[in-house]
Amino acid sequence: MKILVAVKQVAALEEDFEIRADGKDVDEDFMLYDLNEWDDYSLEEAMKIKESSDVEVEVVVVSVGPDRVDESLRKCLAKGADRAIRVWDDSAEGSDAIVVGRILTEVIKKEAPDMVFAGVQSSDQAYASTGISIASYLNWPHAAVVADLQYKPGDNKAVVRRELEGGLLQEVEINCPAVLTIQLGINKPRYASLRGIKQAATKPIEEVSLGDLSLTANDVGAANSMSRVRRMYVPEKGRATMIEGTLAEQAAKIIQIINEFKGA
Amino acid sequence: MNDPTQITRILFQDFDPKAIYLFYAIGYLAIAVFIYGVYVQIRKYRRGKSDGSWNELFQRFVEMVKTMATHRTLVRRDKSAGRAHGLIFFGFVLLFIGTATITLEYDILEPLFGVKFWYGNFYLMFSLVLDLAGFGLIAGLIYMMYRRKWLNLPKLDYKRVDRQEGDPDFDRSQYRREDWAFLWSFILIGITGFILEATRLVWLSDSPHVWDYRFWSPVGAMLAHIMQALGLTADGAGSFRPVLWWFHGVLSLTFIACIPFTKIKHIFTAATSLMFKDPLAGRRLPRVPDDQKTAGYKNITDLTWKNLLHLDACTKCGRCQEACPANAVGAPLSPRDVILSLREFANKALSSKELPKEAELDIHGKDVGQVFMETLWSCRTCLACVEICPVAVEHVPIIVQMRRNLVEAGEMEPILEKTLQTIHKTGNSFGESKRKRAAWAKDLPFEIKDARTEPVDILWFVGDYASFDPRNQKVTRSFAKLMHNAGINFGLLFEAELNSGNDLRRVGEEGLYELLATSNIGTLQACDFKSIVTTDPHSFNTIRNEYPDFGGKFEINHYTTLVKQLIENGQIKLKKKLDYRVTFHDPCHLGRYNKGFDAPRDVIKLLGCELVEMARNRDNSFCCGAGGGRIWIPDPVGIEKPSANRMREAGQIEGLDVFIVSCPKDLTMFEDALKTSGYEGKFIVRELIELIDECVEYEVWEEAALPE
Repeated sequence: MKILVAVKQVAALEEDFEIRADGKDVDEDFMLYDLNEWDDYSLEEAMKIKESSDVEVEVVVVSVGPDRVDESLRKCLAKGADRAIRVWDDSAEGSDAIVVGRILTEVIKKEAPDMVFAGVQSSDQAYASTGISIASYLNWPHAAVVADLQYKPGDNKAVVRRELEGGLLQEVEINCPAVLTIQLGINKPRYASLRGIKQAATKPIEEVSLGDLSLTANDVGAANSMSRVRRMYVPEKGRATMIEGTLAEQAAKIIQIINEFKGA
Repeated sequence: MNDPTQITRILFQDFDPKAIYLFYAIGYLAIAVFIYGVYVQIRKYRRGKSDGSWNELFQRFVEMVKTMATHRTLVRRDKSAGRAHGLIFFGFVLLFIGTATITLEYDILEPLFGVKFWYGNFYLMFSLVLDLAGFGLIAGLIYMMYRRKWLNLPKLDYKRVDRQEGDPDFDRSQYRREDWAFLWSFILIGITGFILEATRLVWLSDSPHVWDYRFWSPVGAMLAHIMQALGLTADGAGSFRPVLWWFHGVLSLTFIACIPFTKIKHIFTAATSLMFKDPLAGRRLPRVPDDQKTAGYKNITDLTWKNLLHLDACTKCGRCQEACPANAVGAPLSPRDVILSLREFANKALSSKELPKEAELDIHGKDVGQVFMETLWSCRTCLACVEICPVAVEHVPIIVQMRRNLVEAGEMEPILEKTLQTIHKTGNSFGESKRKRAAWAKDLPFEIKDARTEPVDILWFVGDYASFDPRNQKVTRSFAKLMHNAGINFGLLFEAELNSGNDLRRVGEEGLYELLATSNIGTLQACDFKSIVTTDPHSFNTIRNEYPDFGGKFEINHYTTLVKQLIENGQIKLKKKLDYRVTFHDPCHLGRYNKGFDAPRDVIKLLGCELVEMARNRDNSFCCGAGGGRIWIPDPVGIEKPSANRMREAGQIEGLDVFIVSCPKDLTMFEDALKTSGYEGKFIVRELIELIDECVEYEVWEEAALPE
């Protein structure tokens, strides 16, 4: 029994940041990298199944990204994942979510897991399509925004509750193997202590190249994606001013502003 | 004049030899039980992990003897109990030496070598000393009985704050019964000893070499006269004596046999606990060996033998509980209960021949003898308990070791977990960008040197709260001005400074601590400076006491020491005196942790303030509640915060103008607490730096350039 969890290292922005010279992304100097929050939950869901199962369950985490991603994979290993796989080639830079899904699909074909979990979305790009594209490439059933999961290793069906708008839940029975994208709050992710992360450094992270997956540079990267970033920018802010001073001064200022708007 | 060799006490006088054999048999049995008990205890300790406290044994022994001889730790904060214990202790020691002296002559020197010395003047002096010792013993015990029965001291109430009424280990009445059994059996041994002595005097009243010297045992003599006055004859005494003799003898031997199994064992455990006392306990927490799989204490067998010994040393005196800030505000923590729970657990799990299954060794949980997670998280690691413990029990290191295990298992408040992740990500607890660490310095009218790029005399380690908290930034700027105007060549680490790790280590996140400490040490070692200064007592403690364990040996001062020097040698010129009535709150990490009691007080006096101490000051200072990572965990609503408790205490000082602190976290905690204390407007909370700032007049251009 094997569960594969697709994870991503996401970027968070510092309070003051600058846009890269080419205008397509934020300057890397201002990014803080960490494991995508949703992936904490999907890994935890896999770990819960592993820990409550009578049969041996292997949890494999997979990510597409450069060297720095090892840090996030190590965190997953510290939380109890059995193996970690990282796929990278410099030509993959700029790949959109669908291409990342394609790469992950090739890994999944080799690993042949019984279930695939992914986060609903990533906190930096928020396409919410990596997991779904995997299902599409594999031609597997899928359920998105899973807020509850009832599944035991060996089951040929799982029952999931999907979170809909307006506080609605939809209970769905799904054939397995399946791809599930996991929603925040489905469980309480465990804390990975720094000692745990340090000790996980001894667990190997398997590095996989495009060639190992029978892919080439012509399959990946911005040029081979179906969508490309044109520019990234901070929209101009609306007009808002903090009015300071005594109550009387504030009132006078407000009257002045209203009069300006009226064109007086 | 009688023959001096006749002036003695004949042992077993008029006893049937069979009776003597019987007595020896009982004596050997008592000793055998005693030795077996000692063996079981030692086997228990040996089931703990190793500990490196075997160094400097002789010096440790001398220190222990000094502590015991002066009763220094026992008279602290409870003079009467300490003195009464002194009477019992010295009484017992003398009586023990007396008995051993008789044994030496009767059982060893006389039968083997024919040597006798227990007669004549020596015997008389011996009688006098032992009579006084016995009297002291009984007097001390009577006070202790009075204290237990009538003083109603809260610290002698064993009811637990972390358990509910009805829980099996809620009221610990077993301990109360043991206390009384101990007091009664001990005092009965003393009293029957005296009656026995008096009975012998009456019995031998016509023998001049006994009766003529009776006043060398004054208590016995007095009792003898009373007995005679009540009509006891020599014959009557003679027939009454054997009954009494056996009662006294068997009770004494039972007492000896019971030592290893009852609280009496503190005679040995307290002494050895004192001997293995770690002067840096809590100030320098133990490292986790790199090859150790899990951090901290999960099972009772994870404790070291020294920890297990400390558990047995506890005499339940309750001074730790009385000093504990968490306990004072009703949090579910009594340091004593933690120690006693673990002791009970150890006795149950480690005293039998075979160790129980591993699952039965887990000390975390809700069962009898296990310690609640809420209890461990209530601790503020202020060291008040460790400081006052008369027998050197080291509570805080045990609590932190147990927390290390909770952290690894993720058993903590979600908000604390979030903070740990933030610190891992950004290197500070505010989650601010590293670049902003020295943002407070931007508006200063002078540049502060970058100690990473140029040599400085003093490297200023600022710390998180002083760097990022807006209220504390004002103080930080004042201190920069102060240093600048005193002509100090100083610099900062800017964005390379990370959280010092002191509080994280006390939370129990050892891995993160190691990461931060080694990073800071690396940064510091690459800089050229003579010494470090900090306004943050927490950073001060860990850099001073803990960084050396990771290879970072630096000279570091808290700012109060530096400023005192600068004022005294004229580098800081005070232009005016302050006429405030002030009180001073000792920060735990400066005062209790590092004995920095005097420098801040000296500075306060140099400023001209009238210093009025609060009742709890110096080593008994009351924690603001922020230590041990509790600053990141909100206090439960509905119970008083320790900081509010402190404000009430300060409010008792008539005409108080300023409540002075010398720690960034204190400033935050107490300014907050003042608002809800009902004393707002009556007095204010200020950092000492701010008062110094008031006394220093800077050049006009600087004043104008400084932001409010």
